[in-house]
Amino acid sequence: MSDLVLGISAFYHDSAAALVADGVPVAAAQEERFSRKRHDSSFPSQAVAYCLDEAGVSFDDISAVAYYEDPRLKFRRVMATLVGAAPTAFPFFRDVLPSWLSRDGKRHTDQTVRRELQALGRGRVPPVRVRRHHESHAASAFFPSPYDSAAVLCVDGVGEWATTTLWHGRGTTLKAVAELRFPHSLGMLYSAFTYFCGFKVDSGEYKLMGLAPYGRPRYADLIRDRLIDIKPDGTFRLDLRYFEYLRGRTMTGRGFERLFGGPRRLPESELTEREFDLAASVQEVTEEVMLKLARTARERTGESRLCLAGGVALNCVANGKIVDAGIFDEIWVQPAAGDAGGALGAAQAVAMERGATRDHVGTGRDAMSGALLGPAYDDDEIAAYLTANGIPHRRLDDEELVKQVADGLAEGKIVGWFQGRMEFGPRALGSRSILGDPRDPGMQSAMNLKIKFRESFRPFAPAVLAEDAKDYFDLRQDSPYMLLVARVAAAQQLEVPESGVTGLDLLRVRRSTIPAVTHVDYSARVQTVDERGNPRYHRLLQAFKARTGCPVLVNTSFNVRGEPIVRTPHDAYTCFMRTNIDMLALGSFLLDKSEQPAWTEKSDWRAEIPLD
Amino acid sequence: MRALLLFLLYYLVVTPAGLVARLVRDPLARRKDPDAATYWIPSEKP
Repeated sequence: MSDLVLGISAFYHDSAAALVADGVPVAAAQEERFSRKRHDSSFPSQAVAYCLDEAGVSFDDISAVAYYEDPRLKFRRVMATLVGAAPTAFPFFRDVLPSWLSRDGKRHTDQTVRRELQALGRGRVPPVRVRRHHESHAASAFFPSPYDSAAVLCVDGVGEWATTTLWHGRGTTLKAVAELRFPHSLGMLYSAFTYFCGFKVDSGEYKLMGLAPYGRPRYADLIRDRLIDIKPDGTFRLDLRYFEYLRGRTMTGRGFERLFGGPRRLPESELTEREFDLAASVQEVTEEVMLKLARTARERTGESRLCLAGGVALNCVANGKIVDAGIFDEIWVQPAAGDAGGALGAAQAVAMERGATRDHVGTGRDAMSGALLGPAYDDDEIAAYLTANGIPHRRLDDEELVKQVADGLAEGKIVGWFQGRMEFGPRALGSRSILGDPRDPGMQSAMNLKIKFRESFRPFAPAVLAEDAKDYFDLRQDSPYMLLVARVAAAQQLEVPESGVTGLDLLRVRRSTIPAVTHVDYSARVQTVDERGNPRYHRLLQAFKARTGCPVLVNTSFNVRGEPIVRTPHDAYTCFMRTNIDMLALGSFLLDKSEQPAWTEKSDWRAEIPLD
Repeated sequence: MRALLLFLLYYLVVTPAGLVARLVRDPLARRKDPDAATYWIPSEKP
């Protein structure tokens, strides 16, 4: 009988549930995929129900429940902030304090979690154990990694007090080495610039990262001079006089505006050169800190492998720089590096204490099952859905399905690909993906404008057969979770005439044989696909290569902007019909857009999905 | 009523506490330290 531990993250952002059996993740999902509310922070009751259903268990079979944060320690930090920021933060104090002090307020979140779980009516819930935020991140980074021992670095906005933590992982234990504390936070710095450039905090950071290659780091020295004091070992302190987050929710104040020559960019307004340059500048500073911290991690632990987690580990450009610098032999990034992964980490931390062993170590594989830990829909379920709704479709065997999809892609068609278990974490990895031909110079624009209905500066990312990755990308190691950025290989780069083109016009310059996935600085966020992780996806890439000679596909997440990644066949069909996707592969079924009946909706869905 | 209590609490208790604390040691350790070699806070041994 397996020892089952359920982990929960909730109430701040990216609520999730994760189930771990004898230390091995067996089910995990973010609540947003069920509620259809992006980054949903409410209690993850549907995600919990899914985990129990997937394992076929009730709470009577669960040994322990783990929560990813210590609410009482967090309260002490909130109090210290309110005291430290006095007398200027009264509105913040007035709005925030009551929710902490009330009897079932935020100081007792673990009890709230237990109550909510008990209310699901699925058996008797064991007491909820609390694990600190950064310990949860560190556990999610190290325990599923393939390594027997490693340095572990967690960098985020803030948990309770810690914002940056260094650990030494060995076997089934994690030893805390050192930390940096709130309010000094690299995640907060990046979020401040995200806000100032007119994007949404906690969801727009990766847009800022995507904007950076369009600009020049003109402000980097100013940032280093005034905003952040960086020591040689990468540790840092921010100058809080420029930021407002000690006083409330806004990230930046008038001092920041004066420093950068004007007010913040308003959301959805036009992007100017200042935003490109600010993005490039904060990205450069972030990379500098991450590289220095990585070196320190190596020196202080003596380990040749690094594990990363925390929201800043989603900065795959910085991760790529760590790999390129060769500081470590190899790095491993938790696919759910943000707070959703905290649910998994908390569960794993408790499981290790209960005597779980890490049997996968030494096999060269990790324990994340390719991050495919969510719900699947088998062909019978899909057939029932298609038939019940009168949806025209064809059922094909695996070989024929893969061939027809590959042919469609080669003809320039955009394909919705819905297969197997849903991904855990923000990236689509070939289970809930939209795919396209990367050689097509019009593909990036078509996908941005007609599929995702999103900002046109945003790049797309490639999936490549692992065995052919080195022909296309200068990647020193595998990247199965799309969390590393690498340069497109010289052999694929094209001569680009000197033209003095700047800003968004850079998009129109064709710089490689795979233009749809080559960003304006020749970088790409790569997914290396091997046979074992996702066999049908691997076969599809092989079929595309057989047809075209190219082992690469555009892989973007199956959703429109602002919507969470699709979960069910119905979610997929809806997205398919709302956009210019040409073909939909739902399990063994292939759907053609031209054969579909007219799609009507009662209201304007584009007005209903909040912009992210 | 509650708003008034919070107001009084903030300006009569929290603010003086904050000002006094900052005279001794800033609970948020805000100031930069040019002489320090590192900002790492070592973790306690378990």
